[in-house]
Amino acid sequence: MLVADNIVKAYATDAGNAPALRGVSLRIAAGEFVCIMGRSGSGKSTLLNILSSLLSPDAGQVRYQGRDLAGLSARERDRLRATDFSMVFQMHHLLPYLTAFENVLTPFLSSLRPVSAEKRRKALDCLARVGLAEKADRLPGRLSGGEQQRVAIARALVTQPRVIFADEPTGSLDGDTGRHIMQILAGLNADGMSVVMVSHEPGYAAMAGRVVEIADGLVKAGA
Amino acid sequence: MNILTIPLRNLRRKLPRTLLMVAVFSIGVASVTALIDLSKAVGESLEAKLSAYGANILVSPKTETLSVGYGGMALGDVSVDIKYLKEDETLAAIKGIHHKDRLSAVAPKFVVLTRVAEVPVGVVGVDFDQERQIKSHWHAAKGSLPGDPSAIVAGFDAAARLGLAPGSTVAVEGREFTVSGVLGSTGSEDDRLLFADLHALQAAAGKENRVHFVEVAALCSGCPIEEITAQLTAGLPDTDVKAMQQVVKSRMMTVDFVKHLALAVSGVILLTACVMIGLSVFSSVNERKNEIGLLRALGFSKVAVFFLMNLEALVLGAASAVVGYCAGFAASGRLMALLNLGDQAAPAFDPVQFGLTFVAVAVLSSLASLPPALAAARIEPSQALVML
Ligand SMILES: Nc1ncnc2c1ncn2[C@@H]1O[C@H](COP(=O)(O)OP(=O)(O)O)[C@@H](O)[C@H]1O
Ligand SMILES: [Mg+2]
Repeated sequence: MLVADNIVKAYATDAGNAPALRGVSLRIAAGEFVCIMGRSGSGKSTLLNILSSLLSPDAGQVRYQGRDLAGLSARERDRLRATDFSMVFQMHHLLPYLTAFENVLTPFLSSLRPVSAEKRRKALDCLARVGLAEKADRLPGRLSGGEQQRVAIARALVTQPRVIFADEPTGSLDGDTGRHIMQILAGLNADGMSVVMVSHEPGYAAMAGRVVEIADGLVKAGA
Repeated sequence: MNILTIPLRNLRRKLPRTLLMVAVFSIGVASVTALIDLSKAVGESLEAKLSAYGANILVSPKTETLSVGYGGMALGDVSVDIKYLKEDETLAAIKGIHHKDRLSAVAPKFVVLTRVAEVPVGVVGVDFDQERQIKSHWHAAKGSLPGDPSAIVAGFDAAARLGLAPGSTVAVEGREFTVSGVLGSTGSEDDRLLFADLHALQAAAGKENRVHFVEVAALCSGCPIEEITAQLTAGLPDTDVKAMQQVVKSRMMTVDFVKHLALAVSGVILLTACVMIGLSVFSSVNERKNEIGLLRALGFSKVAVFFLMNLEALVLGAASAVVGYCAGFAASGRLMALLNLGDQAAPAFDPVQFGLTFVAVAVLSSLASLPPALAAARIEPSQALVML
């Protein structure tokens, strides 16, 4: 369903071009739970962001359902992110002035059309699914880090995406909270959603269906 | 909930800043509202005062003068015939022109030269009501201005020369008039004349329905004096219609100056307000780059982001328009009272004007936020990845 072909990406820095990915190929099937592992700086985030269309590769190709992402118009990529892809960032990235409930609904706030009652119900369901139904009206500042991350997951769920991309969703959390997040993701995957996540903790990686190891911008194992 | 929720919540979170912005823009809107109201009132009051200062159109019979010379000697100009205007026809024609609403006074005159105690003096028959519209500076130094047809008013110098005081009687064309009052000095030829009731004087002279000329005062900020003159000429064949251009021009210039000044100042204030709105949205865009990147990552299109930032300015603008208009409205009322423009009716709340202000401010604020909103739309989704 999602195929990366020989991805190359370098960042321009003061010291010249710094290669982050040096030819990565990867296939992810529908309904898979893939965990990308590797040391800090190995290029995990860069790969994930290229897969999720946030970054474009210098060379190589990403195909989603057979279509080259680079060949899509900007509008089509927007639609893709609005419907098929969802992202959970390492730092929870919630809008600080919206309540948990409103944050979950943000993907639907892109037009003047009022959010339907059905979508509101859906948002509450998603919050319930991550165990935050009773904190729906809180602002992010009054939630713990783990709770904020769960709100971000609920926001990723509400659009019923096919793929969830999560970059170290447990990174800033303590062990128990991290495990809870992992259980939520595993539960989503059990419901048929593809999950592509980045982690450098073998304990969490073990919960994924497949582990892809990368080092120095190259895939070491699991492709 | 819709896209408006985002700017509304953001503005609420930054309430002090939002209030400050609204306060600043409101002051701008208020100043412009007050300025426009005031300049309108000042213009109208100026115009009223200026037209009270005198007539600006003179309607007189066509006189033909003949330059007489004989044997190389110029003997001067001779009026071939002194014609009269027919009072009823002339007044009817004047009051029947298209721009009749613009005429503030129509003052017919009938002049008689006579001798009082062997001293020659001019007596002018006037319609006192109309005359006082034109000559608001007239006041009685002694006695009162006449109320009945047998009364006569003496100009300041004429009274002194002829020894007239209220109560004295004067015979003009064989008819007795009683002096009801003496005018205060005006510095014009009025000082040397006597003024009697038009119809009484005509009757005494046996020249009913005759007038020598008619002075007309026109209000001219909305229409060119040329048009009124042309309409009068068309309605009055065989008469001379002269606009006293000098009077008219200076009148127009004063009124126009007030209005232009108000417009210029309003323009500067509005421009400043626009720049401030633009800058405030710019800073909002800059400090929210990550947020905007996040929205793009969630699938918001460039258009949606543009709209979002524009809406924020629009909300600020709309709030400022309401607050500013009300404040400006109140301020202009107070100012008019202070500036002694009380003779002008206090400005009434005008929903149309309010609507126009609202729309204009909304359009301006959204125009002002155009550049920052475009900058926001250019922010890439990957900006969500940048951590501050
Ligand atoms: N925006 C950037 N600008 C410059 N260099 C970057 C940027 N993002 C990542 N890098 C560099 O690219 C390499 C890979 O980074 P990243 O994909 O974030 O690794 P990981 O997520 O595995 O820690 C690192 O050396 C990192 O320093
Ligand atoms: Mg990373």
